[in-house]
Amino acid sequence: MRPRHPAFRAYLRRLALATALYLVAIFAAVRLLHGQAVPAAPSVAGVVIALLPGIAVLLMLLAIGRLWVELDDEFLRLLEIRKALVATGLTLAVTSVWGLLEMLVWVPRLEVFWVFPLWCAGLAVGQVFNRLTLGTGGCP
Amino acid sequence: MTNRLRVLRAERNWSQQDLAERLGVSRQSVNAIETGKYDPSLPLAFRIARLFDLPIEGVFSAD
Repeated sequence: MRPRHPAFRAYLRRLALATALYLVAIFAAVRLLHGQAVPAAPSVAGVVIALLPGIAVLLMLLAIGRLWVELDDEFLRLLEIRKALVATGLTLAVTSVWGLLEMLVWVPRLEVFWVFPLWCAGLAVGQVFNRLTLGTGGCP
Repeated sequence: MTNRLRVLRAERNWSQQDLAERLGVSRQSVNAIETGKYDPSLPLAFRIARLFDLPIEGVFSAD
């Protein structure tokens, strides 16, 4: 369904562009760099390729920030902020507990790479939380 | 906080969408305020009261 509010439409457009860049960049970075022996002095090209997916993640975060600024409807903005709070709380909870387990007993190492996907999954949980408590979820 | 938004809207035969457009907010906002799930900010509460030509206590009450 096409969102009514122009801020949501702009957000989805920006998010789609950043996601497309992310997919291309992560595919290229994994193909070109992953599994190779880490050189003592990485090349400039290698660093740039490795940074590209991160730049795409920053663009996604920027899209979320601009949505909060551009949303002029206070209730819709509240829904989005609550989603981010739930996502942040869940991410802190999971990574903190997992980090302690890594330090004190043996569990598989959680790559920091997974923090952002975990936070995005938390947004979906936040949407469900909004729906259950306020009757509507916010932007899909 | 309680409010008389649903009654005031019904007296004018406005749908939630009609009221939302008059206030410049989303239909979800109107629904959340009417059902008591969300208390509007002071500026929005004043806009609502002004739209119905009532003092703010004529729309919202603290109980």
